[in-house]
Amino acid sequence: MAQAFTKTMARNIFYGGSAFFFLLFLALTFDTSGQLPSRDNRAALDGPMGETIAKGKELWEKNDCIGCHTLLGEGAYFAPELGNVYKRFGNSIDGIKGFIASRPKDGIPGRRSMPQFNFTDEELTALAEFLKYVSEINTAGWPPSDNG
Amino acid sequence: MTASTQAIPAGTDPRRPPGDLAIWIFILAELGVFAVFFAAYAFTRMNHVELFNQYQQHLDRRAALINTLALITSSYFVVRAVAAIREDNPRHCVNWLLAAVSMGLVFVVVKLGEYHHHFVVEGVNLSTNTFYMFYISLTFFHFMHVIMGMVILSAVAVMAKKGKYSAREHTGVETGASYWHMVDLVWLILFPLVYVMR
Amino acid sequence: MTYKSQSVAKLYFIAAIALFVAQILFGLIMGLQYVMGDFLFPAIPFNVARMVHTNALIVWLLMAFMGAAYYLVPEEAETELFAPWLATLMFWIFLLAAGATVAGYLLLSYSDLADLTMNEMLPTMGREFLEQPTITKLGIVVVALAFLFNIGMTILKGRKTVVNLVLLLGLTGLAVFFLFSFYNPTNVVLDKFYWWWVVHLWVEGVWELILGAILAFVLIKVTGVDREVIEKWLYIIIAMTLITGIIGTGHHYYWIGTPEYWQWWGSIFSAMEPIPFFMMTVFAFNMVNKRRREHPNKAATLWALGTAVMAFLGAGVWGFLHTLSPVNYYTHGTQITAAHGHMAFYGAYVMISLTIISYAMPLLRGRNAANPAKSQTLEMWSFWLMTISIVFITLFLTGAGILQVYLQRVAENPQPFMAVQDQIGLFYWLREIAGLIFLVGLVLYIASFFVGQDEPEPAVAD
Repeated sequence: MAQAFTKTMARNIFYGGSAFFFLLFLALTFDTSGQLPSRDNRAALDGPMGETIAKGKELWEKNDCIGCHTLLGEGAYFAPELGNVYKRFGNSIDGIKGFIASRPKDGIPGRRSMPQFNFTDEELTALAEFLKYVSEINTAGWPPSDNG
Repeated sequence: MTASTQAIPAGTDPRRPPGDLAIWIFILAELGVFAVFFAAYAFTRMNHVELFNQYQQHLDRRAALINTLALITSSYFVVRAVAAIREDNPRHCVNWLLAAVSMGLVFVVVKLGEYHHHFVVEGVNLSTNTFYMFYISLTFFHFMHVIMGMVILSAVAVMAKKGKYSAREHTGVETGASYWHMVDLVWLILFPLVYVMR
Repeated sequence: MTYKSQSVAKLYFIAAIALFVAQILFGLIMGLQYVMGDFLFPAIPFNVARMVHTNALIVWLLMAFMGAAYYLVPEEAETELFAPWLATLMFWIFLLAAGATVAGYLLLSYSDLADLTMNEMLPTMGREFLEQPTITKLGIVVVALAFLFNIGMTILKGRKTVVNLVLLLGLTGLAVFFLFSFYNPTNVVLDKFYWWWVVHLWVEGVWELILGAILAFVLIKVTGVDREVIEKWLYIIIAMTLITGIIGTGHHYYWIGTPEYWQWWGSIFSAMEPIPFFMMTVFAFNMVNKRRREHPNKAATLWALGTAVMAFLGAGVWGFLHTLSPVNYYTHGTQITAAHGHMAFYGAYVMISLTIISYAMPLLRGRNAANPAKSQTLEMWSFWLMTISIVFITLFLTGAGILQVYLQRVAENPQPFMAVQDQIGLFYWLREIAGLIFLVGLVLYIASFFVGQDEPEPAVAD
């Protein structure tokens, strides 16, 4: 009998193996969905600040903040991590608002600087509340230092 | 292939594993994943011996023993199935394969009983603690392999029934058998490691 | 070129290379902004340069994949393309959409672009790599569907080879997983969880099927090795890819609010992810060593071997470096990630695109098999310049990353982000220099299309 290494078997392993591990991935996803409510701080989204946080996320996306910053370690690596910025700023909503509002319009000579976005006070609050919400997600102890 | 290798009946060439080589690449990869998982278990257990010993008491060792016997028996049946086809007896081959699948079914039913106890009665899940994380991950991963193995053996049985295999050409039977033995082998490590060792 | 309709691939390849140039130019701008923070501020802020850099990359790779499909599917299926006119039409729609999007990035502020494209109706913008306006995303879906229809019908009416089926499966997966880019809940954890279904399941899943299919096609052509052999190894390699890569998604679920068992599942499976890449390297070299003909297109063979090696180094080795959760705890979201990203994308996807372009372009331009020696020599120079530059970019970013991790996260007194950035500037300068050499390589690459055109091509030796 001929050397047994057939294309049919290789194909079966590809389809069978892929389907098998995709199903396993779906099973883990299912479990994750069940566990998330205890970790992802969705209480904040359903609470009195829910709408403000949603507005903050819209602003976060609309101004492409992720294009310079990281959020929970994902994004660009040009500017500081913001997942824990609420804590870094001493749990202060006003601290975050003040920082964003005070960025110079023309930048800082020779250095990186965040643009001046001319947010209204309401918008600044929304962004700060969004960052506060993110900082209260259970991230398994990440980042290792408050500096992000 | 050269004429000389063709002359040697399948399974008797000591230099070549039985079945399709492709399944052996797959088996190797699977054993690799299990090996890393087992090593991770052992390593973590070393650092949390008390936690592991405490929650190990909650496991149903009798059920696991039944399952061990079921799988060993099923492997024996698979061996008989391969022997039957080598003697050009597809009918016996099908019967032995079905017997092996039914032993797999015993495993599945007993395991589901165990899971019912842990998930529903005790209410544990992957996030309960590190021990249960490993217990559920390892056994469920293996559990899915048992089901996969049953699907493969059933497919082989169907093919055998259709008369696709003979004493001359029965790579498919050996391929399915090899995979099943792997599933069995993994359990033989898993059982003492997770259920017995303390 | 055997079938007339294959020629549509040429358009796609030319546009791909043009966008490649744009990608590198904006990469250099970003690189300079890393060390001269006010460079082009506020005309082209960093985030805009980055969007152009990454989105141009994605679009040109998609262009190259589509071009590859339009080239190799008819040849494999042994039939003309189902609807060549549709392929041409979709090309112009895609190019126009990509051009308009980039123009939007550069000419408008991002928030104005969001308003103009009515992002609030179905907000999908402002997430990494998915910055395109919603309408552009819809355009991508339309183009992808028309493309799949065209390719699928061609395969249906012709010979169904493994290369074609795997390619079709990869391209279908690409379209299907892209749909997750339209899911954008307020819940950040859910947003990120499914964002990875686009990003990870693309680059460490279905794109690798495309990579494997293109590589197999070129290897069949340039080595003359029996198709059966190449096809069964293709199946085994992509099987390993998906077996390890699908659960390997877990290595992104360590620190984003997902349950902690992902640290185990993700680490174990992604530790296995280098295996298929290693197999691919061994496979490519084996096939070339067992070649049954001396194909005159040496450059294409070089790219094919190069992609196998560099994909292993970039995706396999550099991925493994920081994929285990105890390591990733420190390296997550630093320049280490950037280092891995650069070499992996270049090694796996840029190089496979250049492989098929290198193989197909001479034929699309009416040659028998290959470019003249002069042109090929220049192309091989560009191969080495770009590849060595990317190795150095990766090494410098790795150096920057190690220092960053230490100063910002490990040291006894961790320092703030910007303070650390100031201290690792030297590495960024070196990276920028390596980037400039990459640009030289790219210029030579483009020049290789124009030199020696009136010289005879090397003889075909069978």
